[in-house]
Amino acid sequence: MKHKVLLSLVLYLLLGAAAWAQTRSVSGRVTGAGDGAGLPGVTVLERGTTNGTSTDANGAFTLTVQDGASLVFSSIGFVSQTVPVTGSTVAVRLQTNETLLNEAVVVGYGSQAKADLTGAITQVAAKDIQNTPVPTFEQALQGKAAGVFVENTGGKLGQAVKVRIRGTSSVSGNNQPLYVVDGIPIISEDQSTSSAATNPIADLNPNDIESISILKDASATAIYGSRGSNGVMLITTKHGRKGKTNFNLGVQYGTSEPTNYRKFLNAKEYVELVSEAAANENERDPSFDYVAYTNVRLRRWSAGNDDYKTGAVDTDWQKEVLQKNPFSQYDLSASGGDDKTRFYISGGYSDQKGILISNRFQKMTSRMNLEHTATDKLTLGVNLSLARTENHRLDNDNSFGTPMQIVALSPITPVIDPRTQLLSGALDLTTGLPNTLYPVYYNPLLSVENASNETTVYRALGNVFAQYQIVKGLSFRTEEGIDFLDQNEEYYSGRLTARNTDFTSNGNAQSNYSQNVRFTTNNFFSYRYTASEQHSLEAIVGMSYEGRSYRANSVSGQQFPSDSYKSIASAGLINAGSSSESASSLLSYFGRANYAFDSKYLVSLSARVDGSSRFGANNRYGFFPAASIGWVVTEEAFLQDQKVLSFLKPRISYGKTGNQGFGDFSARSLYGAGSYGALPTQRPVQIGNPNLKWELTTQVDAGLEFGFINNRISGEVDVYQKKSDQLALNVNLPGTTGFTRQLQNLGKMDNKGVEFALNTQNLVGNFTWSTNFNASYNKNKVVNLNGQVIEGGYINRAVEGQPIGVFYTVEYAGVDPENGDALYYLNTTNADGSLNRSTTPDYNAAQRVVVGNPNPKWTGGVTNTFGFKGIDLGFTFQGVFGNKVFNGAGQYMSASAGNGYDNQTADQLERWQKPGDITDVPQARLFEGNGVANSTRYLSDASYVRLKQVTLGYNLPTAWTTKVGMQRVRLYFTGVNLLTFTDYEGWDPEVNTDYLAGNIGQGNDFYSTPQAKTYTWGINIGF
Amino acid sequence: MKTQWHKIAFGALVLALPLASCDSKLDIEPVTNVSPEKALQTSADVEALLNGGYEQLGGQYLYGGGLQYYADLLGDAGDVQFGGTYLQPKELISKSVLTNNAFVASTWTSAYATINTVNTVLANLDKVSEVQKKRVEGGAKFIRGALYFELVRYYGKAWNDGNPSSNLGVPLVLTPTDVNKSPGEEAKVKRNTVAEGYAQAIKDLTEAEALLPASNGFFATKYAASAMLARVYLQQQEYAKAAVQADKVISSGNYDLVYPYAAEFAALGNTQEDIFAIQLTPQSGINDLNTFYSINSRGEIYLTETFVSQFEPDDDRLNSIDYDYGLSTKFDNIHGNIHLIRLAEMYLIRAEGNLRAGTEVGAAPVDDVNMVRERALLQPYGDVTIDEILLERRLELAFEGFLLHDLKRTEAQVDNLPWNSPKLVLPIPQRETDVNSNLAQNEGYN
Repeated sequence: MKHKVLLSLVLYLLLGAAAWAQTRSVSGRVTGAGDGAGLPGVTVLERGTTNGTSTDANGAFTLTVQDGASLVFSSIGFVSQTVPVTGSTVAVRLQTNETLLNEAVVVGYGSQAKADLTGAITQVAAKDIQNTPVPTFEQALQGKAAGVFVENTGGKLGQAVKVRIRGTSSVSGNNQPLYVVDGIPIISEDQSTSSAATNPIADLNPNDIESISILKDASATAIYGSRGSNGVMLITTKHGRKGKTNFNLGVQYGTSEPTNYRKFLNAKEYVELVSEAAANENERDPSFDYVAYTNVRLRRWSAGNDDYKTGAVDTDWQKEVLQKNPFSQYDLSASGGDDKTRFYISGGYSDQKGILISNRFQKMTSRMNLEHTATDKLTLGVNLSLARTENHRLDNDNSFGTPMQIVALSPITPVIDPRTQLLSGALDLTTGLPNTLYPVYYNPLLSVENASNETTVYRALGNVFAQYQIVKGLSFRTEEGIDFLDQNEEYYSGRLTARNTDFTSNGNAQSNYSQNVRFTTNNFFSYRYTASEQHSLEAIVGMSYEGRSYRANSVSGQQFPSDSYKSIASAGLINAGSSSESASSLLSYFGRANYAFDSKYLVSLSARVDGSSRFGANNRYGFFPAASIGWVVTEEAFLQDQKVLSFLKPRISYGKTGNQGFGDFSARSLYGAGSYGALPTQRPVQIGNPNLKWELTTQVDAGLEFGFINNRISGEVDVYQKKSDQLALNVNLPGTTGFTRQLQNLGKMDNKGVEFALNTQNLVGNFTWSTNFNASYNKNKVVNLNGQVIEGGYINRAVEGQPIGVFYTVEYAGVDPENGDALYYLNTTNADGSLNRSTTPDYNAAQRVVVGNPNPKWTGGVTNTFGFKGIDLGFTFQGVFGNKVFNGAGQYMSASAGNGYDNQTADQLERWQKPGDITDVPQARLFEGNGVANSTRYLSDASYVRLKQVTLGYNLPTAWTTKVGMQRVRLYFTGVNLLTFTDYEGWDPEVNTDYLAGNIGQGNDFYSTPQAKTYTWGINIGF
Repeated sequence: MKTQWHKIAFGALVLALPLASCDSKLDIEPVTNVSPEKALQTSADVEALLNGGYEQLGGQYLYGGGLQYYADLLGDAGDVQFGGTYLQPKELISKSVLTNNAFVASTWTSAYATINTVNTVLANLDKVSEVQKKRVEGGAKFIRGALYFELVRYYGKAWNDGNPSSNLGVPLVLTPTDVNKSPGEEAKVKRNTVAEGYAQAIKDLTEAEALLPASNGFFATKYAASAMLARVYLQQQEYAKAAVQADKVISSGNYDLVYPYAAEFAALGNTQEDIFAIQLTPQSGINDLNTFYSINSRGEIYLTETFVSQFEPDDDRLNSIDYDYGLSTKFDNIHGNIHLIRLAEMYLIRAEGNLRAGTEVGAAPVDDVNMVRERALLQPYGDVTIDEILLERRLELAFEGFLLHDLKRTEAQVDNLPWNSPKLVLPIPQRETDVNSNLAQNEGYN
């Protein structure tokens, strides 16, 4: 009730003030400085307000503004201009520009001119992401936005992408930002039923995106309350403008290939190393003849013949699964409209075959954005997108069926078994069934033809809205949004995969359906008031309600008549079936007021109250306020007479945001059902916590925005500190209670960082050259975990005083030159408190220590763009520095042939062989695992610099194109991940194995797929 | 102005409507799992809760395998080798269990979760219909008694090691945890003594024996309780009592040995020989004996020549060994029931109990042993010694969870350790001592 009273009061005050405003109508035309043609789509904004419009196809606009107002004209790629309104018409010529200082920036429930912002927001424009040949737009953000760290789990398509805005702020909850499309928060969490997470953001067509506004500090995010701590990505889709209907056709073709191949032993080297390991072991353990045992196996894996002795068969298994594959994308859109109705409609199709065999991601999207001006007071419209994605997925990295595990197979094994003329492993002539002992492991190529794992998603995402101007200056907007995600996962594995599944089930199939629905309603008043040139006030106040529901079911079958039958209907045995259902709701009230005095002194206050069904009964509502101030120094009189400094604005913000990214019913005590001997059972499964509440982050940010020489040099610097408190942790309970843990708000974690962005126009004129540079530093520290150590990954842990996910293991000390033993640093504490750095061959005697951080210290990017007579060239270098990656598969693939018969990486040839050898590869000792236990032996620096993207385009002269009835023709080449510079020893340093990826499990490699290097050619035609 | 205010009022109304109706929408009832109030309303609810207790009892760290193979690994002296990658079984077989051994911790937490379930059953008996009440109460007490017996002999010193009235056993928790509040200081329970643990097990099992019917589907019966009591008394070296309890089961006439030996283990469901079995179906339950012993699963516990050499050459039980892989085939059915208490064991308990106590309850010891030997296609003994009975137990009941406990009560050497070595007592899991400062750790661990 209290909130409602408050709301009425605020409304009353706002409305009372509204009566004084005087307005006038302004019209005009915006042209480009070069050819003088009308510029469509320029944002025209009344300064200090959200009142605005955009120009039509001829560059014309009409807008009603307050007396004494100034208009801000901005369009991406042009220098913004601020023009005071003196008469009823305005004519503006915009200069081209790469600086983005005065563009209109989308903020929560509105937009603001960048010059007036007091929060830390990075806006990325359509041109920075469109036509990038990646499945999802976050991947196109890499290296382009300060403070935003984007990391792919691996090169499999459509998989989850880790996005961290200003570091990790939750230990056990969600750390991904909130994604909002056209005002409606959307489904962004993993939808996969397997441990290889998927990314629902990939359902969006990046070419439909007009801009992405990344909200970073509390001033910007507090309006999203209990979901603001991880930052917010506001995605605005393209809209139509008044004027002639424009068509745009885009076609793009290309090829993907792996960024890197690893060198493994060839047949001769393999036989040599494995035989040496066996011979060494014979000396060490005379009780068994390892050499004879090994020879039997080598012959077996050499398809039962002696080819292994001569190296006659030399298979590079890696090349069987990592391939060059095509990429194609088609887009067609139309946009236009008249005074009453504007529209943007688009259709897109893309088809990417992964670099990994049988991995494929297809996407079909359509969008209709429609806006209708019903009366001069009422505007209504709809933004609607329908999408279908089909992902041919693969097993997670920890499966013998995942293609990359093929590298474990012996190079002496032929791809085709000469005895059967079938794939090795397909048929054992003595049993008539797939082989069980040949090749050394299950051959993942058998899964290519005999297993499938298809995920199909149907996604309807959209909203209808109406905006009504109640009185001048005050309008009410209502938005009703829905996000409907229907997913079907169909999995089948046939008889030939028996060695990877089992020999008794005669085919395994599983079908999972899920339906994920989010309903959102936003209702808010916007108010703006300009008393004179000096005072301007803009405010919003409103409420929103969001309901989310999830339903899923799955059924599994076995015993198929033959591999031709793949659907559950044909299963002789239905061996499992299940369903689940969940829901949550969020009821919120929010408000914001921005006040500017003389366009110099800026103040912003915002707050949100969130009530969530996820919170415990004792803590239903959370309050999230923020305040910020800014000072546009360059508006001061004392800086008017100089030309060097064109813009300078220090700003400071402080606020509180929350995170509620934990389970829907984590606060509740729960009973769950089960089965015993086909009879129903139930039992307590969770003890609730009625005090459970949001995780709370308090953030302070100080920023400085600057522009020199008419903004040819512009940029901003931010320093921030995020202190996250009351983090939800699963706290251990005494097991004697019958429960092992309870979710409690106990943890603390800090992030501190610096962000730096610099945009320069190095050359202007006929030949243009501009540079955008950004760099971010973030330092994470876990402050309080209630004394717990939470482990993840192989050797990751969250421990107090260290960054989240630090690597904690024994430190490898190389090889004893005398005997080839792997050595480890003791790292025990001496009596005097110092560290004992002497070495030991006894792994268990060595103390585990913190040995590295999976979180990068620095990330950043540099983009250079050149233009000359219709030719444009842009290239982006992206860098990640200071993080390490642990190769969990090192103990198998880089084990000096001491841990089974897996093929080895080529560096294992450097093994110790005789006393005096100096190397860090221990003596080969079959089955002894000399040096294979988890240690820093398999940890390496994973800093890298990548030539992330290169685009070379040519716009055909208009004189030519108009002759064939086209407005615009652009031909281009785009390449992604073309070069990678790194010391990382594995395939690719950008890696986080899917099956262990989490808040703590980070920076792990386990037969993970490298990134794709993609080259494409494309054409865009406007007509 | 007036018309404007109308519009404002309309706007305010539009805004206020959803506000007024939303607040209740924050109360969302869980569906897949449900609240405790909804879960426990009727007699059927409490019966389903008891079924949940049986399901938990059959969990992989309890009678779903853990409680059995821990005894065979920790008690091993070369009969088997562990060739797997899991560290936890390696620690058991090498007698160097760490306090953070996750299997040992899971056995503790699973056992107490099960005990909490059956304590909840006992606290809700008022909801149970009269006709079911004895069966439900008996079942709950059978489960609790069996678990306290297992807990106290794994986590406490052996009954015969020093003074059980002062040796620490495990905490005895006999009331359910209140799910409407967060556990506080009262949850930091202390360890009771070994004697108190055995007394509780005997009390629960004796009451269960009186309450349970002779026939109860695949759930615990009166005879299952008797059989479990026979195990408890045998462990306490109360031989006469053990023989009496075993005799109750045998003389009921409800059970027969299954021929041949392998058929008992090949059976998916309960057999005529089973006094109590853990139920597995493709839909529910995990058979961890299958996981570790069987070629059909991980197959990581290899049998050695030392084990095989203890059999007479004609022993039919040798047919339950796969010589190619050196694995036992007793647990090859991944979805087959775990035959937890078999009639053969009762014959051997009655034989040993009678022989040691100098009694002949039911039958002469040699006749009981010969029942088991005949099934194994071996020549009957004319006369039997304690050592022969113990050997017969070892071969007949191999890998069914008896080795360590038999070695302790007979005070035999375990590999190179004395029977009462602290290394043969499991540590109180570190996760427990971390959160409960009242829990003393066992000797030899810190």
